Amino acid sequence: MGLGVSGKSFSQKNPGPPTPDSAITHLREVRVLGFAPERFLTGQKSQPLDSAATEQGRYQTLADWLGTQAPVAFKSYGPGQVTTAGLRGTSGVHTAVLWNGVNINSPALGLTDFSTIAVAGLDRLSVQYGAAASALGSGAVGGSLLLQTLPDWTPGWHLSLGQRLGSFQNHQSQGVLRYTTAPKHGWQLSGKTAAYGSWQRNQTPYTQRRGYPVEPSETQQRGFLQDIFLKNQRQQQVSLNLWLTDNRATLAPADPVGRELLRTQAARLLAGFETKGFSVKTGFIRDVTDYGKGATSETNPSRTVTDRWLLRAEHERTFTPGPNRQATLRLGAELTHFIAQVDEYTGRLIRENRADLYALFRYRASERLLASVNLRQAFVTGFNPPPTPSLGAEYRLIFTKKNSLSAKSSLALSYRTPTLNERYWKILGNPGLRPEQGFNKELGAVWQHTARATASLELTAFHNQISNWTYWNPERGYRVENLQDVLARGLEVTARWQRPLGKTTPGFYGQYALTRSTQQRPYDAYSSDIVGKQLPYIPRHSGTATAYLQRGRSRFTGQLQAASYRFVTFDNSQFQGGYVLVNLLVDTALRLNRVEGRLSAQAFNVFDTLVLSVKSNALPGRSFAVNLTFNLFSNPI
Amino acid sequence: MKTGYFIRQSSILAAFSATLFACDPSNEAPQPYERGVLVLNSGNFFDNNGSISLLTRTSDTASTNIFQRVNNRPLTGGAQGYAEVEDKGLILVDNSSAGLDKVEIVDARTFKSLATLAAPDIENPRAVVKVGAGKAYVTCWGTVGQFPNFFVNPGYIAVVDLTQNRITKKIPLQKGVEGLALVGNEVFITGQGDENLLQVVDSQTDAVRIFMTGAGSATKSGIDLGGNAGTLTLDANNKLWTLVGREAVRINPQTKTIEARLPVGTDPRRSPGNLTLSGDRRTLFFTYTFYDAADNYKQKGELYAFGINDTSIPTTKPVARKVFSGLGFDAESNLLYAGFTPSFKQAGYVFRYQSDGKLVDSVKVEVGPSGFYFK
Repeated sequence: MGLGVSGKSFSQKNPGPPTPDSAITHLREVRVLGFAPERFLTGQKSQPLDSAATEQGRYQTLADWLGTQAPVAFKSYGPGQVTTAGLRGTSGVHTAVLWNGVNINSPALGLTDFSTIAVAGLDRLSVQYGAAASALGSGAVGGSLLLQTLPDWTPGWHLSLGQRLGSFQNHQSQGVLRYTTAPKHGWQLSGKTAAYGSWQRNQTPYTQRRGYPVEPSETQQRGFLQDIFLKNQRQQQVSLNLWLTDNRATLAPADPVGRELLRTQAARLLAGFETKGFSVKTGFIRDVTDYGKGATSETNPSRTVTDRWLLRAEHERTFTPGPNRQATLRLGAELTHFIAQVDEYTGRLIRENRADLYALFRYRASERLLASVNLRQAFVTGFNPPPTPSLGAEYRLIFTKKNSLSAKSSLALSYRTPTLNERYWKILGNPGLRPEQGFNKELGAVWQHTARATASLELTAFHNQISNWTYWNPERGYRVENLQDVLARGLEVTARWQRPLGKTTPGFYGQYALTRSTQQRPYDAYSSDIVGKQLPYIPRHSGTATAYLQRGRSRFTGQLQAASYRFVTFDNSQFQGGYVLVNLLVDTALRLNRVEGRLSAQAFNVFDTLVLSVKSNALPGRSFAVNLTFNLFSNPI
Repeated sequence: MKTGYFIRQSSILAAFSATLFACDPSNEAPQPYERGVLVLNSGNFFDNNGSISLLTRTSDTASTNIFQRVNNRPLTGGAQGYAEVEDKGLILVDNSSAGLDKVEIVDARTFKSLATLAAPDIENPRAVVKVGAGKAYVTCWGTVGQFPNFFVNPGYIAVVDLTQNRITKKIPLQKGVEGLALVGNEVFITGQGDENLLQVVDSQTDAVRIFMTGAGSATKSGIDLGGNAGTLTLDANNKLWTLVGREAVRINPQTKTIEARLPVGTDPRRSPGNLTLSGDRRTLFFTYTFYDAADNYKQKGELYAFGINDTSIPTTKPVARKVFSGLGFDAESNLLYAGFTPSFKQAGYVFRYQSDGKLVDSVKVEVGPSGFYFK
């Protein structure tokens, strides 16, 4: 009952490129209890990130790597500095980031700084496009990023030790140990311990690029992950996930007076138990942010501490009313208690309760039709977001042995609870803010071809109207108001192709997005200069592409990441130039009995294209990295 | 063949993306910048997108970002100040990060960059004035810390030799040195760093004048203004004016004494700013603004004026009812130029007024118009 094999369905649905044998490969066999919540988002676009690419990006941060895989509008303040990610014409606060099903966006900022999240230790990543608040909760307005760590039930152990050496004295070290016991008395344990540390010194041999300064900065990062999964024959599972991250970004490190330190730390702990359709999850997440300048940047920073206590209970039933028919109903309740201690807040100690009730229903009506209906009601101390339903369907128009063509569509409301900063910041915060509300409509078609060549093509059109968009209004001394209405709409194309040719397998996948995102409602005499104009930092055209050649254990990869010019002002009077970045990656592996040595040589931005941070400083140009990884297996491979 | 396919596929993609992603909105052709009104736009502080626009006296459109147009690179910070010394212009550039500020020296006619004076010599430049042939003073705060210890370092004047385009000397002064005015061979300097001094530097010798405080042999490097002060301006009576808190202060530069302290208006919520002299140097304009707590902190304010011989400064008859981000007066056309910033995330406007407050026109410029230079 209710056994979704999401790992498998992932590989069937998206015939990805052959993965260079590694720990990642084993994940294909993973079985997880229940459906992942995004499986209830029928009719919406979702993009599981390519596992071979994830392996290639294992020494990078999400800020650096994700841009090569998906058309994400990043706002980067500099190398190793704060980087936020907006999807489909929205901003960082409209991107929900979930780790093992739990939202990890900072409650103070309402977003995740992608420069503080390393790819290392994460097992599966996927991008969910569009509004998903009915299934994922607050903030899933423009899109969501789903990060997962997963068990591997193949008995044995696997140790992986790696080092990256990069240009500008940017280095990273990491170690991952996975271990799984053989089933004993009906029980089996699978665990993973991972640790990484990096020092990004950004010692570029130049201080400016084409007239734009390169801001001196350095970033130290470390992280620790511990997963334990324990299951028995009766499909009961206990899980424990711990993730600690610590990120220190320093600006002007050589200047004792002007030096600025932003330290972002997070401790995330989840414990779960699942049995026959019931699951309980409890968690604790602490986010600590310290900002300081000058001599006392370390000793007397301005501090933000937010704690979250979470309890979630779900019940799921699956019915099989007939052949090719299956209905799954999930009922869930979630309680979260927030405690915020922020130097810059009125009142300093803020306590807040939030609760969510939701019902998710997925129905496979026939071989052709799949539909889902979801509803969530959130409750927040002081005010309640409106009920958030969504409705979606996928219909297979054609399915032959080699080809299938599906049409999909979805209607979804979404909401975003205003952040703690927006409500409680000294003087400027506005406790009376209303939640932002989105209405996302999308329509898509997917063609899949499976023969000697595998290929797929997906077209999606979306239209997302977001009202009560919050704005730090300069006319009122930057006090926050629900001032704007934003309409984001666009077209997306995703293509994938692969065909073995003798011993060589070439392949390609890419995405293109056309995004129009505009402010719709005038709110003062001069907002007429803004209404109808593209929002800042959102390129109209963006795209990513990866082409590869796999031969034996070696792979040659070309990555392309492109964005058209982005306006930096609301009235579109100023812009930063468009860019096309090209990366070249070569990976090869050497094996000897139980040991595998893996070497990866990577060249980033080979044409030395100029890209600017939101501070209009130049990001460093062309760079190189060599990654050396040793994998040691308990069993011969 | 396999490789050929791969290459063909990749090159089609590359060509496609080059056309799609590399096409930026085009710029208009450059022009000489000998005459007209330079508008200094601060940009949005953390966006480092300040710029200089040129407005001719007769045109109702501005040439934007003229430094970038000519030099194919941006200012990389707010345009904090501008002055000309013979045929050269000095642009003060303030970047949001420590160590990235600078002074761009340009050909005043073409705006072509001739030299860049950078950190650590230039850090937080505030104002610039010509003090002699081929010589300019630039006030600088030095590197600043964080509130409440904002002014950590002493301020200084960077002495610029325009014949060699270099900094010859740094004159240490009070913390937060700000406004500058040349009277004869003496340069008067105000500060924002709570030392409250009006300092005097000899523009020939670069020596800081020392004042006896009266009691015994105690000395001070300036006269006490009683508070922080900004812009200094010299009127038709050869008196200096500056704003200290909610007062306009008149200083006799010959005797180095404070002659008058005139309270500005009566509203304790408001503060005066942007003190600007008319073309005949007999009228002073100023902004008078506040955030209205009773109206959800909406910023409100007007523009007022007073005469240099007035004995009080009432704020009963506004010249214009708007909150301005910068003022300047063009002696040639006898018009007041007032910068207006709807927000620091969109282009601002310059409103042109006759001295009596009659609006002539308004012209869209760039982000945060906050200063003017008339040539």
